[in-house]
Amino acid sequence: MKRFTCSGCSLLCDDIIVQSDGLFISEVIGACLKGKERFDLVSAKNRITSPLIRKDGELKEVSWDEAIKKAIDIIKNSSVPLLYGFSNVSCEAQDVGIKLAQKIDGFIDSNASICQGKIFNKAKSLGINLTTITEIINKGDLIILWGANPAETVPRLLNKVLFSRGKFRMTGREIKTLVIVDPIKTASFRVMGVRDLPLIIEPNKDIDLIRMLKEECCTANSIPSQGVAGIDKNDLKRLLLHLTGAENGVIILGQGVIQPNPDYNLVEELLELLQLINERQEKGRISLLLMGGHFNMAGFDHVALSSFGVSGNLEFKHNQMMKTEDTLVSKIEKENFDSSIIVGTDPISHLPYSLSSKIAKKPLILIDNHNTATSHIADVVFPTAITGIESGGLAYRLDQVPIELNKIINPPNNLPSDEELLNQLFGLINQGGSE
Amino acid sequence: MEFLLNSIRKIDNDQVKEHAFGTEQTLEERLAICFINPKDFEKLKLVSSQQLKISNKDKNVIVNVEKDDNIPEGMVVMPVSIWSNQLSVVQNNELLYKNIVVNVEATHDSITKFKEIMQETMVK
Repeated sequence: MKRFTCSGCSLLCDDIIVQSDGLFISEVIGACLKGKERFDLVSAKNRITSPLIRKDGELKEVSWDEAIKKAIDIIKNSSVPLLYGFSNVSCEAQDVGIKLAQKIDGFIDSNASICQGKIFNKAKSLGINLTTITEIINKGDLIILWGANPAETVPRLLNKVLFSRGKFRMTGREIKTLVIVDPIKTASFRVMGVRDLPLIIEPNKDIDLIRMLKEECCTANSIPSQGVAGIDKNDLKRLLLHLTGAENGVIILGQGVIQPNPDYNLVEELLELLQLINERQEKGRISLLLMGGHFNMAGFDHVALSSFGVSGNLEFKHNQMMKTEDTLVSKIEKENFDSSIIVGTDPISHLPYSLSSKIAKKPLILIDNHNTATSHIADVVFPTAITGIESGGLAYRLDQVPIELNKIINPPNNLPSDEELLNQLFGLINQGGSE
Repeated sequence: MEFLLNSIRKIDNDQVKEHAFGTEQTLEERLAICFINPKDFEKLKLVSSQQLKISNKDKNVIVNVEKDDNIPEGMVVMPVSIWSNQLSVVQNNELLYKNIVVNVEATHDSITKFKEIMQETMVK
């Protein structure tokens, strides 16, 4: 029995006990449902264990050499390749992915750019404090979930931050207040106790609540008697008291707050509120935690920042990074790409049809370890080892803390890691062609 | 009837899990589905043998429907999947997955099959 870090989600729990002889995993103790699924992927019935290429409209198993030759042909015939995904791979693989994009004059971005990366960049530019899991465990007294449902996306997050007993405060759950702002009564509401504050907000009315709170923080005017955004006046008073009285509060933001609106920027307004509260706070502060889903969603930003000083939307011409106004969405929408290399993600499922249908039109190379909607339309599919189980590497936890993942067993068919495969493609392109 | 469509991640309706471990049948059972408030179920005069046709101005999907008290009236919730993303949209160069205005109606037609969606998507 040995302790390993789980790569089932972005929480990267480091307390999973695994029994293994190095060939098979016989027992996994302490993993949540998502973690268990991650370990079950090893023997999943829809796991891909051989390279595939499309022949006469059908995906057929082929040798590695044939698949690599086909992939190199696609890359060499492409003048504006798009590289996307990279949030389910190690930082080392992300780094090679960026080098490959540079070598082939591509545009590269990760899933973070359509998810938590948006808040990360805004928080960075405003100078907002991001906090860590350890800080919340040890010192937190107020946890606000805004448009976030960790019970179903990062299942052990609430166990860790809400039910834990702090090292620097002698109390745990009994002094931690949970506030949830959401239009849907999600599974996360089930952990709420009597001192907590459930706020069912009317859909699309978050902005009204934020602006009222900003007003109250600055002028202490009275809260409208009819409440705001469907939330009762007394609940709003309690919310204000918590926000301005917490010693160590954290707002955990989910996908619910990063939706675009033509009339305002919700994330920006929410972060401005946070700044205002912290200015008014006399004894404490409110920080931010971003809740991404994929296990290394935070990693790409760090790798790209350390290599090229930007956190996403990297575009290369003549092997040099160039300034671009383009984003992943604009690239695809304008069809300003002629092939794609998709790594560890499923854009055909998770992007709107207007974009996924455009990706499907162009030659597509997929690197992934199991069937997805994207594998159905790919021209070349490369299977790889499962990071955190069959290969190691670095990943950034959702609170931006780097965590080392370790190899537990060998992959089937000696599958390469994502990093090894990307390195192989990079090496061949660098030499000018296939072996 | 006009509704707001929200796509959310649900642990029991997870596309990664269904693609990795399931069959096309379980994929459709778990993901070609939506949830609405029981009062809306009545307003739409739905019976259990019917499905819901959800449309925006460009696309539509037919999915199974279940009652859920946790969903506010006027909202239809779908798990994030290729079905919900037939209806999600690009707005000002950003992706809109929440609060999308859709039209919803009861139907006896069968659900939109995974193969149908893939065939439409795959046209190269």
